[in-house]
Amino acid sequence: MNCDDLEKTSSLYLYDELRAEDRAAFETHLASCAGCRTRLEEARRLHRVLSECPQPEPTPELLVRCRQALDEALDREQLGWRGLLRGWMWQFGAAPAPRLAAVLTLLLFGFGLGWTLRPRARSLAPLTLSGTTSPFGASDLGDVRIRHISEVAPDPQSGGVRITLDAERRVTLEGSLDDPRIRQVLVDTVRGYDNPGIRRDTLDALRTHRDNPSVRAALLYALRHDANAGVRLEALKTVRGMQWGPDVHQALLGALEHDANPGVRVAAVDALVEHAVEEGENETVMPVLLKLAASDQNPYVRLQCLAAVRKMEGNEQ
Amino acid sequence: MVDGACLELVGKHETSREGEAEAERALIRRAQRGDRSAFDTLVRLYDQEVLRMTLRMVRSEEEAQDLYQEVFLKVYRSLGRFRLESRFSTWLYRVVTNVCFDHLRQQKSRSELPARAGADGELDYAQALADDRPGLNPEQALRAREISRRLEVALRQLSPRERMVFELKHCQGMKLRAIGELCGTSEEAAKNSLFRAVQKLRQDLSDLV
Repeated sequence: MNCDDLEKTSSLYLYDELRAEDRAAFETHLASCAGCRTRLEEARRLHRVLSECPQPEPTPELLVRCRQALDEALDREQLGWRGLLRGWMWQFGAAPAPRLAAVLTLLLFGFGLGWTLRPRARSLAPLTLSGTTSPFGASDLGDVRIRHISEVAPDPQSGGVRITLDAERRVTLEGSLDDPRIRQVLVDTVRGYDNPGIRRDTLDALRTHRDNPSVRAALLYALRHDANAGVRLEALKTVRGMQWGPDVHQALLGALEHDANPGVRVAAVDALVEHAVEEGENETVMPVLLKLAASDQNPYVRLQCLAAVRKMEGNEQ
Repeated sequence: MVDGACLELVGKHETSREGEAEAERALIRRAQRGDRSAFDTLVRLYDQEVLRMTLRMVRSEEEAQDLYQEVFLKVYRSLGRFRLESRFSTWLYRVVTNVCFDHLRQQKSRSELPARAGADGELDYAQALADDRPGLNPEQALRAREISRRLEVALRQLSPRERMVFELKHCQGMKLRAIGELCGTSEEAAKNSLFRAVQKLRQDLSDLV
């Protein structure tokens, strides 16, 4: 290995990408060449500088936004003609090849037959919907979501077609949060709906009624148990504005001590300290802050806890 | 000495990994049959890593969000063609790499875009930094910001391929062989791209070294 080779492979050496024999040759040359040692030291410094550069990390809020936008895009995708086609293709794709061939032949035959008999169909028959569970009329077809198509049966005699499908209808509810039915939907959404973006929007909608007992319980539940840190943070902000009580105090203390996300823990520090300073009550908060100031794994949380302890001590004096 | 208990643990670990792989295959089969909830679950398994990759690749939340969506829509549209003998994660990361590569190429062909600026006129490089930024002391934080800003500018000077290989190597810590596979090229070509990228960065950032 000469100086040129070493120059070309120095980054591979630093990234530990050289094969054992190349690495040995690299180090042998390095031991005998002061110029290459200097150049490698420069390369090492650049490597260190690049490693000092903080890497961007997605925030919980960004993740929520991404998931929400994807969810909506997938809904559109599923409802479009491509979605329907894909649904059929997937079913056929899972079928063995002879069956697929048979299905395609039948389809071609059906279209051929339909084309041949086309002149017999004088006019379009009115669209009809049947089925005992169907909750809508023909004019409502525009807002149904097709979940599954179990049968498409062309009728050569009439030129029509019978489609058997499972559909669900999109419903828009509008009303005041004073209406217990509206409230119940929102509370159930906070507790159990699987889209975190919607859960966050729901928390926002419930903000004005946060002291209603069922809303209050749902908000505290979200703060304690929601799987998404962005939602928990939103819940904490709303809980912070609620009428203070032992349940709020316990939930915030729980978030401070046990939440996995440092952002939520810091927000809990702020909320608890604000209340403690206003009310002069810090018996339960101070020991937790002291413990976390010494032992929280996140340096920023430790720093905030320490600042909070000082603030509360200053307030006592 | 490796005792029996250790061997048993290793065995259990392997079994649980195989169990997870089988559960994932079952999920993929359901998603291939059009089960949306199975697809959503599949997304949740990988989307944080996908978002991290795209964010590090483009260093802009807005663009990363677009790329995230493009990746999963592509996966949704072509999942039916995925063969279960291959690893889903490898296939997915190849999609991520292709989407990011196309994006960088289009960005490059639209010529050198001005760096995104925030409301105060500062470059918007620090908008997605991790939560633990304040843990640094002020001098470190200032230096890190300066390096970040300079690095972002320097990265824009690289070709899409060089940038891709550099980000995957330096930020994701991937081996060059894997990078070559993801980028649809050889390990040797990935090595060359990395060499050229590092040379350019060294020139641009020489005063920081």
